[in-house]
This record gives sequence, C-alpha cells and structure tokens, in this order.
Amino acid sequence: MTGPRGARRHLPAIAFFVTPFAALFALFYLVPIGYAIVQSLYKVERTGTFGPAREVFGGLAQYRRVFTDSPFWHSVERVLLFGVVQVPIMLGLALILALLLDSGLVRGKRFFRLAFFLPYAVPGVVAAIMWGYLYSPNLSPFTAVTANLDLLGADLVLWSIANVVTWVYVGYNMLILYSALLAIPPEIYEAARIDGAGVIRTAWSIKIPMVRPAIVLTTVFSIIGTLQLLAEPQVFRSFSSAVSSTYTPNLTVYATSSVPNFHLAAAFSVVLALATFVLSFSFLKFTQRRGAR
Amino acid sequence: MRRSIAVVLLSTLALTACSSTDSSGAEKTAASCAPASGPVTLTFTSWVPDIQKVVDIWNKANPAIQVTVQTGPNGNGGTYQNFFNQLKAGNAPDLGQIEYDALPSFRVQDGLTDLAGCSDVTAAKDQFVDWTWNQVSFGEQGHVYAVPQDAGPMALFYRKDLFEKNNIKVPTTWQEYADAAVKVKAAGGYITNFSNSDINQFAGFAWQAGAHWFTNDGTNWTVDLTDPATTKVAGYWQDLIDKKLVSAVPPWTDEWNNAYNESKAWTWVSAVWGANSIATGAPKTSGKWAVAPMPQWNAGDQVAGNWGGSSTAVFKGSKHPYEAAKFALWLNTSSEALTELNKVANLYPAAKSGSALPALSEGVAFYGDQKIYDVFSTASGQVKPDFTWGPTMTQTYADASDGFKAAVSGQGTLLKALQDAQASTIQTLKSQSIPVKE
Repeated sequence: MTGPRGARRHLPAIAFFVTPFAALFALFYLVPIGYAIVQSLYKVERTGTFGPAREVFGGLAQYRRVFTDSPFWHSVERVLLFGVVQVPIMLGLALILALLLDSGLVRGKRFFRLAFFLPYAVPGVVAAIMWGYLYSPNLSPFTAVTANLDLLGADLVLWSIANVVTWVYVGYNMLILYSALLAIPPEIYEAARIDGAGVIRTAWSIKIPMVRPAIVLTTVFSIIGTLQLLAEPQVFRSFSSAVSSTYTPNLTVYATSSVPNFHLAAAFSVVLALATFVLSFSFLKFTQRRGAR
Repeated sequence: MRRSIAVVLLSTLALTACSSTDSSGAEKTAASCAPASGPVTLTFTSWVPDIQKVVDIWNKANPAIQVTVQTGPNGNGGTYQNFFNQLKAGNAPDLGQIEYDALPSFRVQDGLTDLAGCSDVTAAKDQFVDWTWNQVSFGEQGHVYAVPQDAGPMALFYRKDLFEKNNIKVPTTWQEYADAAVKVKAAGGYITNFSNSDINQFAGFAWQAGAHWFTNDGTNWTVDLTDPATTKVAGYWQDLIDKKLVSAVPPWTDEWNNAYNESKAWTWVSAVWGANSIATGAPKTSGKWAVAPMPQWNAGDQVAGNWGGSSTAVFKGSKHPYEAAKFALWLNTSSEALTELNKVANLYPAAKSGSALPALSEGVAFYGDQKIYDVFSTASGQVKPDFTWGPTMTQTYADASDGFKAAVSGQGTLLKALQDAQASTIQTLKSQSIPVKE
C-alpha cells in the first residue's frame, strides 16, 4: 500500500477527482442544511396588524416551539409505530423472497426477480394513487372487502399506507439482499452440504449471517425512509378523511412552511434530521456491538 | 482534511451571504405609479385554465406592454407556497392570482403593492361589486392591494328530476333542507356530502349566517371561529352528520364526482363556478339539474354566502406597477377579457358590468336551459360585505379541516374542531409575532 508520501504524490489527481463531487455536495447539501440551521435561529418581529416584518435573531425560540408542539410529536410517535411494525415485515418478506430466489427451488428465477422488483419502478405517488383507488369504497373493484372494512378510516389508514410502502419497497430491498447472497462463495455451500446441512439449515446458519451487513444497511435505509414519510400520506389526504395535515413529521414541516412560517419549519426539519441521524446511528452501533460479540 | 476545512469555510461564506439579505421594511404609503419610458414585459402567474387565450388578446393590442403567463396549480394546491418562496427570494412575478381569503396572508408577509397611487385603480372602485372591493382594500380608505377578478356567490344546485319524481319540495330554508335530506335518504340517495376537507364551503355557510371569524382594529387581530352564527351552522351540519343524512365523501375526488354522476348525491350548495364542476364531474346527469337560491336561516330572508373568488395582485418588487395595474384593470373590467374569462373558466366577474355579458344571460343546456346566472347575479348582491379573512388562513383551513375530517369519521364534533382551530390560529399568529387579542 502507498503511504502518506504516495498520497501526497497523487494530490493533484485526488483533487481533480474529488472537486466536482465536493462542489456539488457543498452546493446542494451542506449549504442548504446550513441555511436551514441559520433560518431556524431567526424569528419575525412586527408592529401592528399589517406592520412591516423584521427578521431578528431569536436564539432557540423556534426550538422551544418545536418541543411544545404536540401534533409534531404525535406524528413522530405515529411514524415510529409505523416503523416498528412495517420495517420488520417488509424486510422479513424481502429476505424470504431473496432466499427463495437464491435457493434454486424456484423456476423462472429471472422472471420473478424482475416481477418482485417492478413495483419499485412505479413512482411512489402513482403507487399511492393506485392503492387509494383500490381502497376507496365507491371505486374499488373489491367491493366485498371495502364495504365491510373501512381501509381508509382512522383505525386502519396507517396500515393501509404501510401496505403501499411495503408493496413498493419489498422488491428493492429483496434485490439488495439477493445480490449480497450471490456474493457468498460457493465453497461454503459445498462445505455445508458435505456436513449434511439441508436447504433451510443452510439459509438459517450460513446465508442469513453472511448477508447480515446487507440486512443492517436496508434497515437503516428503511428507518430513514419511515421518518421521512411524505408522498404516500400526502396522496392519501385526498382519499381519506383520517390523514391530517400533520400526520407525519414531514407533512408537518410542509404545512408549517405553507403558512408561511419558514423559521419554525426550518427548526422542525433540523430536529427531524437529528432524530433520524440519532436513530440510524444508534441502530448501527447496536448491531455492530452485537456483531462483535 | 484541508479540503474539508475549505468546504466548511466556503459554505460559511455562502451562509453569511444568504443571511445578510434582510427583508426590507414595508412601505406605509402607496407605491408611486409612474409609466415606464420604454416597452416593458410583465410576468403573470395564474391557475385559470387557458388564461393564455385572454392574455393573447391583450398582447396583440398592447405591443409596448407584453405579458408572459405562467400557470400553476390552484392557490392552496401549491401556487401560494411558490409565491411566498418567490417573495422571500426576491423574484416574485409582477402579477399573481390570489383568492380573497389569502390576500391578508400576503399583506402580512409584505408581498403586495398598494395600488392606491395608481389613479386608474382608485377610480375603478365603483365598477366592482361592493363586497369584492372591501376584500381588496381591507375596508381601508385610500388603500387597494389588488383588483377584484371574480366572485363566488352561492346558490343551491339540485336534481330537478329526482326532486319532482319523489315529490320533494325544493328547500328554501335550512329547516326545509334538513327535512328534504330525510326524504332523499329514504329514496336511496344523499342530499349532499359534507365538505370536510375543503373548509371554504363551510366558511360560505358561516358567512351567510353572519359570522365574523376575524376582526382587525389596526392594533390587534381578534379570532372568533366559534361566534354564535358559526356555532349555529356547525350544530346544523353536525346534526345531519349524526343522523347520517349527508355523506362523508371528500370533495374534489373521483369518488365525489362518481356520487353525482351515479345520482347518489342530489344537491350541492355551491358557488357559481360549481356549475362547471358538476357539468364536468357528472356528465351523465346533463339536463337534469336546476339552480335555486341558497336556503335561508329565516323564511323570507334574502342572504347569500360566498365561496371563493380571486383577485389580481401586483407583487412587491414589481418594477412596473403602472403597467401591471393597467393590465389587471383591463383583465377584470373590459368586456372582451371578462367574456373570454367566462368562456375559458366559467369565471363570474366581480365587475358589476359582468352580469350584463351576453354569455351570462343565456340558458345553460346542462341545467335544462335555465338561465342560471340570473340566480347568481341576484345572490351576488346579497352577499354580506363585511366578512374579513385572517392573515394565516392556510393554517386555519388545515387545522379546521383536520378536525372536520375527524368529526365526519365519528371522532369529536365540528364545534370542537372549530375550537381547536381557534386555539391553533392564535398560536400561529403569535409565532409570527402578529398581534392578537385572546
């Protein structure tokens, strides 16, 4: 391996290759985040009912509002509940499908791989609209179900949305897990077969432990996706009267910025980003510690 | 490492550049309104479909003042958010379509040019229906923040054939409307849906009943979403919801269109532009509808509510307020523009002369050749002139509709929803440092 001296020799080349990324990363990632943080520290002052507004430094005033805003924290609770139920189901299904494809038990592997992945190619909004039609009592072709079960009512709509999200992302997660399975060296299977392991035993004791990093990765993606749920509930607002304007944290941010209360919306976003970061990071730490044991 | 420091430094620089642009103070007086020396190009954002055809007429006649049209989704569907963002970024268009209920929000955000300096605009006051002028001037003498475009006087759309067939009297009072609801339900339909996600219809009902949701005494706002009139209206609809006499289908959905098209919903108390909504949403029912005046709270009264209606505003930052005002006036008072606006979008003009347009005195085939605009013309004159909108209606609507949706799904009541919306509106005003009386 080249030491520090080698790195120094390649410095111009490294700079050449890194600059485009660094510039775009700064422009479209760091600067907007920094701008949001700055915005969240400001507040508006005005005199009279239609008086001129001045933006003044407000310290943590917006954050005090965030922490006392009960609809926001309800929405956080809601997506956490959603995640605790939906993420394991989705990844469990993805794992089973990936193992089935990998097991050699199925014929038409290529067809199924594509078929499972296809829903991911449907844009999320389109998928939500399509499922919205299927759930609507007056429009659904499955009237026997929708007439007896209010899938868009306050009790069930969260799980109706979970179904849409699962439908879209199972294939995507399956593909990640399946490619991880393909990377396992065949000698290991050979050794397992010689030791007398059957298909299920191989899956449980070899395949799953060996794709663990991929499972952790998909879980982190799913945690982030869950906390940022926006498109599906937004679409469902036109189908269901149970989806409020503050149903998920991101909807709350959107609703606040349309008031328009940019400063408070910025503070919501910063808190949400931190929460997402903390959750994903603690999950990673947790699994790493268990992995090391 | 050094690179990352450079990146951090760079972004801090960019940040200071961003944050140092402080919003300038609002002007207390009207903007000066002087014509430009050379030809100008104005930008105009609207969500009226085919507005381009109207603007083409202007562009052909006015080579020195060319107007470029941008269209977007309807106001609360995204265009207002764009306007607010553009205003913050300092690149708003010269002109924009704004509904009356959103004008206070834009004025609070210091987004509107006071056109009182343009003598043509102030002179046009008498050309508009009184209450529409009140909306754009906020009832203040010597100020005008937009030019009224259209109005949404309300009336009762009903299925004439079904009412006759089932021998149900066309309701003239809200009591008769509730009685009819029972008979319609018995005949296998719903008299209407309760608009749980679009609060503007409810606002129109409250307006008719004499509600005053917001008052503004110059130093403080007062919010009163639960005044006696509103409480009465909320109680009335709550009763119909409890008795399951109205459906809970969310408005403006395919399911809702379907209910009208399949004759499952028999009436709609709606604004003049609703004529178009039914015609496009329920094509199978052509010729079977009729329009009657809005049901009254007391027999013999003649009061109408209003639902919707837009104005054309000149945004702060427009370099050509004179030309912009001139175009806005032409768009909303000239008979050629009003005729075309009515043709492309069924807009009902806020200008008094509008009711005399040939297109508005003809029978409409979808309504059995009834001259429906006569009903709305009368209604337009019966709208109470003193209804004021609040400065954060987007939030008030969102919160009230959250509560209304819960109420139609059996959790809470409409009144509870209004109480909650009242509290959160006061909260939102405070968070914007807008003075409010509690």
